[in-house]
Amino acid sequence: MPETEFAVVGGGLVGMAVAYGLQRRGHQVTVFDEGDIAYRASRGNFGLVWVQGKGAGMPDYARWTRLSAALWPEFADELKRKTDVDVELTQPGGLDLCLTESELADQVARLEGLRDALDGNYPFQVLDPGRLRGMVPEAGPAVSGATYFPEDGHANPLFLLRALLGAFRAEGGRIENGGTVSAITPTRGAFRIETERPWEAAQVVLSAGLGNAKLGPMVGLNAPVKPNRGQVLICERVQPFLNYPTVQIRQIGTGSVQIGDSKEDVGFDDTTAPRVVAAIARRATRLFPLLENVRVVRAWGALRIMSPDGHPIYDRSTEHPGAHLVTCHSGVTLAAAHALVLAAWIGGGEPEIPYLETFSGKRFQLSSAA
Amino acid sequence: MVDPVPLLIMGSGPAGLAAAQEAVRAGVGALLLDEQPTGGGQIYRALGEATGERQKTLGTDYAAGAPLLTVLSAQCLDHQPGATVWEVSPDGTVYYTRQGQARAVSAEQVILCSGAMERPMPFPGWTLPGVMTCGAAQILLKGAGVFPASGAVLAGSGPLLLLLAKQLIGARARLAAVVDTTPADNYRGALKYLPGALRTPGYLLKGLSMIRTLSASGVPWYRGASGLEAIGDDAVAGLRFKVRGRQHEVACSNLFLHQGVVPNVQLSRSLGLEHHWDGLQRCWRPILDGWGASALERIAVAGDAGGIMGARAAEAHGRLAALGALNRIGVLSETERDRRAAGARAVYRREILPRPFLDRLYRPHPDYLQPADDTIVCRCEEVTAGQIRKYVELGCLGPNQTKAFGRSGMGPCQGRVCGLTVSEIIAQARGVPLEQVGYYRIRPPIKPVTLGELATLEQPEDA
Ligand SMILES: Cc1cc2nc3c(=O)[nH]c(=O)nc-3n(C[C@H](O)[C@H](O)[C@H](O)COP(=O)(O)OP(=O)(O)OC[C@H]3O[C@@H](n4cnc5c(N)ncnc54)[C@H](O)[C@@H]3O)c2cc1C
Ligand SMILES: Cc1cc2nc3c(=O)[nH]c(=O)nc-3n(C[C@H](O)[C@H](O)[C@H](O)COP(=O)(O)OP(=O)(O)OC[C@H]3O[C@@H](n4cnc5c(N)ncnc54)[C@H](O)[C@@H]3O)c2cc1C
Repeated sequence: MPETEFAVVGGGLVGMAVAYGLQRRGHQVTVFDEGDIAYRASRGNFGLVWVQGKGAGMPDYARWTRLSAALWPEFADELKRKTDVDVELTQPGGLDLCLTESELADQVARLEGLRDALDGNYPFQVLDPGRLRGMVPEAGPAVSGATYFPEDGHANPLFLLRALLGAFRAEGGRIENGGTVSAITPTRGAFRIETERPWEAAQVVLSAGLGNAKLGPMVGLNAPVKPNRGQVLICERVQPFLNYPTVQIRQIGTGSVQIGDSKEDVGFDDTTAPRVVAAIARRATRLFPLLENVRVVRAWGALRIMSPDGHPIYDRSTEHPGAHLVTCHSGVTLAAAHALVLAAWIGGGEPEIPYLETFSGKRFQLSSAA
Repeated sequence: MVDPVPLLIMGSGPAGLAAAQEAVRAGVGALLLDEQPTGGGQIYRALGEATGERQKTLGTDYAAGAPLLTVLSAQCLDHQPGATVWEVSPDGTVYYTRQGQARAVSAEQVILCSGAMERPMPFPGWTLPGVMTCGAAQILLKGAGVFPASGAVLAGSGPLLLLLAKQLIGARARLAAVVDTTPADNYRGALKYLPGALRTPGYLLKGLSMIRTLSASGVPWYRGASGLEAIGDDAVAGLRFKVRGRQHEVACSNLFLHQGVVPNVQLSRSLGLEHHWDGLQRCWRPILDGWGASALERIAVAGDAGGIMGARAAEAHGRLAALGALNRIGVLSETERDRRAAGARAVYRREILPRPFLDRLYRPHPDYLQPADDTIVCRCEEVTAGQIRKYVELGCLGPNQTKAFGRSGMGPCQGRVCGLTVSEIIAQARGVPLEQVGYYRIRPPIKPVTLGELATLEQPEDA
């Protein structure tokens, strides 16, 4: 007799969103997570609920991202109701600022490609420096323009993690943390979870971030994810000057300015590199010269979880029914869709949307065999 | 691009100055960085500028630093005061800001002598304006000769509390009271360490002299106080406390708090060095060998930054660390290193003998290691002890998780102030030893640096 209906392995934003979604639909869920220090994208990310530019080469990913952004307001309200945690969601639309003409041209071309793939339904705008300054007067003279997408926004990712945990607990979910799951063994229609003590679960969801690469094959699933480092700087509070989140910089309610984000292929190294930090600072002060005298109070590096094409992997095992795998590189953006839609699919309901199978990890096996 | 230097010493307290002396003696051009405008560290702060009158107030231990300070004028030493170090990389590159300009220097050997900091003493009202640490009050006294003429209360425990009382009395300040929180059973607990301490009796004699000054001064001196509460609306107006069940209240316009010092481990932590929990001193210290060398080939730690040892031991420890480093860069043979180290090693051994006695005697009162629920522990983000306990209930196992949940440790001080308290609270709430709870993961910059400074940073690799 399994001790839990669902074992969710990994308690980051992805695992907690799915766990909460399952628990709120009446399933009985136990989350297994590691201790105080672990590789955790969920604790080191930039907090954007971002649509603009996502899904090049996979239009379904653009659709999925937009669905999540659209579900976000009701999702944030639900979390607030259940936990009293305000995740500070705002969706005023977002900007991607460019420093050269060619940067802007590339970006516009990318967004036009997406618009074509989505049959013209992709309402981005191109802002010349004049229009941009009308929206953001502090943009520096070096800025050559920007693109704007009305569905973009941001939230506080740490409050989101806390709210998900709180809501999951409030629905009766259980957390077992402090132990790494070392193995998962399919046994007679159930799964044995090897941690501090062995557990038995009827079904298992792998949401262990980078850990999925190792755990997936144990239940016949493929998640060739790799780390990609991003560094983020947090600056002291300044007068409000930026009412829109941008890809590189956002100002949060308290006035703090967050600056990111590099993309570096450095393996499992989540420290900060002064060289990269200096480059981030150079770009930021060119975009917004008023930041020159603003002090950096904190910086960190964190590892993104990247699949070979950068798109999510959602899969269920045919070899071992009851085993699922979930991973993505935009866990804040997709949190609403994960909790409200994906969890229903994992729980065995009819898929509310037709294209979830597109995200199967089998696409990587096929391409490598070809 | 700046050329690599053979030896970089960070901190010009007794440890750093002694290290610099050994480098000068070996003919090695060392770079000495300190964020303060003058050398001397905590104990000999501003000694070079202090008038005879101020020196007299501050006592003979203060004036005793003069010979060490002479190294600052040595030809081959590059002394850069006013240099704030905000990052040290494991490869020996040191990043700092001086005169508004960020710089990076590579060194073959780096000795971190960042000293100690005061252990915070959280209780209701401790964040009111007018409340500061005894160390901060002493800094004003040493640096500017400024002190409150009347109406100050000193509260807490430890040698620095008594020393400051003595120094203020000597400066003719009229103290409103000294409120000592040393628990009565600490005296009993410390007794077994007394024989060791008596082998280096200087400290005890100094302590007795401080006690005599305080007794003779007529300043109300409450001992065994507990349940402290600072009161006041916009600023501190008084201190409430209990002594043997009886409630007291003393009016004051300044409240100076102290409950011992702990190593400043921000840099050694940010380097990812392993630290172990010192149960007697109730603090973390980096793991070092007998030469202050860490597990990183190019990084050593000396003085109070490696474990609270006091000024004279810190000086000897700085010498040992420098001799070790000079040997590692090939300037001194092992034999020569050991020969030069013999004296310092003997001083070090002798000077640390009284530590266990002092550490046990002045172990903080449990009230201020485990503050009540409504007490703020993280001042920057105003997080209370109760909130930390709530996050533990939600499933947080350590300070990095409670930090992510409630922002404790995310402010400009980088968790320096709340780090120990938060770990203590989590350990007790979980019912596990503190070692299992761990500490904040400290990330550079460990001191604020502007984006403009970062943007113009000259990198050693840029050449
Ligand atoms: C710098 C940076 C900026 C980002 N910015 C954004 C952004 O602006 N917007 C956005 O939407 N996304 C952003 N992301 C991505 C986002 O943070 C991630 O998509 C999301 O956090 C992934 O969550 P996760 O739960 O899959 O992974 P993680 O947060 O890494 O969690 C995985 C969890 O699994 C646990 N685990 C691993 N192995 C095991 C095991 N064997 N047993 C038990 N537990 C295990 C780990 O301890 C961890 O808690 C950013 C990421 C980075 C690094
Ligand atoms: C507030 C305070 C007051 C004290 N007063 C006395 C006293 O009056 N008498 C006494 O006997 N003992 C006193 N002590 C104890 C005394 O500090 C030590 O015993 C002794 O000074 C240790 O010497 P050190 O060289 O290890 O460190 P310190 O003397 O503390 O020197 C450390 C130096 O490193 C510098 N530094 C630290 N971080 C950085 C950085 N990031 N960038 C640049 N520079 C940096 C500091 O500016 C400082 O000058 C005091 C301790 C404290 C914390």
